[in-house]
Amino acid sequence: MARHSPVTGRYVTIEVDGNEYKVFYLHNGNGQPLICQHTAGAHNHQWRGLLEDEEFTREYNIIAYDLPRHGKSDPPHNREWWKEEYRLTAEHYVNFIVKLCDALELKDPIFMGSSFGGNVALQLALRRPDRFKAVIPVEAADYAPGFFLDWWRHPHANAAQVCASGVWDLMAPQSPDMDRWLTWHYYSQGSEAFKGDLYFYSVDHDLREELQNIDARRCPVVMMTGIYDYLTPPEATENTARQIRGGVYIEMEDIGHFPMSENHEVFRVYLREALRIIKERTG
Amino acid sequence: MAVDVKTWASKFKNLTDNDETIQCMGRYYTCSFMYDMTDCKVIVEMHDGKVKNINTDPAPLDPYDFALRASAQTWREFAKPVPKPMFHGIWAASFCEDLKLEGNLLVLMQNLRNFTVQFELLRKSGVPV
Repeated sequence: MARHSPVTGRYVTIEVDGNEYKVFYLHNGNGQPLICQHTAGAHNHQWRGLLEDEEFTREYNIIAYDLPRHGKSDPPHNREWWKEEYRLTAEHYVNFIVKLCDALELKDPIFMGSSFGGNVALQLALRRPDRFKAVIPVEAADYAPGFFLDWWRHPHANAAQVCASGVWDLMAPQSPDMDRWLTWHYYSQGSEAFKGDLYFYSVDHDLREELQNIDARRCPVVMMTGIYDYLTPPEATENTARQIRGGVYIEMEDIGHFPMSENHEVFRVYLREALRIIKERTG
Repeated sequence: MAVDVKTWASKFKNLTDNDETIQCMGRYYTCSFMYDMTDCKVIVEMHDGKVKNINTDPAPLDPYDFALRASAQTWREFAKPVPKPMFHGIWAASFCEDLKLEGNLLVLMQNLRNFTVQFELLRKSGVPV
């Protein structure tokens, strides 16, 4: 008897700002759409624990996609992408997510992302509060400088290992070895996209003057950060949430920058609380 | 009370040379680095994943590829079985605490996988400060 997972994968082709993307996504569950973005330089397997967690899939239609250039989502098929440097911008990132939600006909989805996915969650709350029921920015802040580094693809070093071990201590030492090494494994696969992702994360994403324009009473914003995150430390997230009208901050103990990937068992406790708050606020 | 530096060096070498995660990909892990713990300095010389030598009394002109410099208190935090946040790795401590990474950092990046695994062995060996 084959031990099939209930998680299924599909491709959907969309056009975003003139780019044709064939996007791969994983899916499981029924009910309220919950669409999940992986971290920079990684792919949707980071959500493997959530995708098979029956407590959540009973009530939520969980979708975890690969951003183009990550995992099984190719770079655009209609342009010579190899002749230009990849630098992800906030505008394109937001446009992509909205187009994907439209293509999948998701009604009032909750968007959740971690790290650069958390930062784009803030961008969505600012730019498209009409399109999302709520956002859950995980390990996010209004501004996260310092990680747009040449080391991620230096030709004299093993970029796969530099990326994978370079993010190693973004994780908490308490997280299980297997999950930390799986996260390391994902990072060894995404080095060519990592630096371009971090252009958005550390350079183009800057909401320091925009937080007052996010209204979490219209589109709830529930932010969560682990205490072992040195890139967006708890105080950075708390400071961001405090400046958003109606913003909520949840601090996560004994976990780091990749909570869903490094320790789903700890993360799920906090996610349950975030979703409870959203339900309470949106009915 | 801090362990004697020579005793520490012997323990750290033994832990490194017998660590399966390092040894399974240890070939070419060849470089030298200084742990500058303010009250104590050592130069670790690696060759193909094994500790070739630990210089426990480095002279001013003794060479190495790169150095990690921080206060003795920071090194003591590194060596705790479960370090507190921001003392749980070289990136965290250089972003948020007083750790300085100096020298030829390209060599550090070229050996980052094994160096990172080895650095965490301090949680088992302790530090001589």
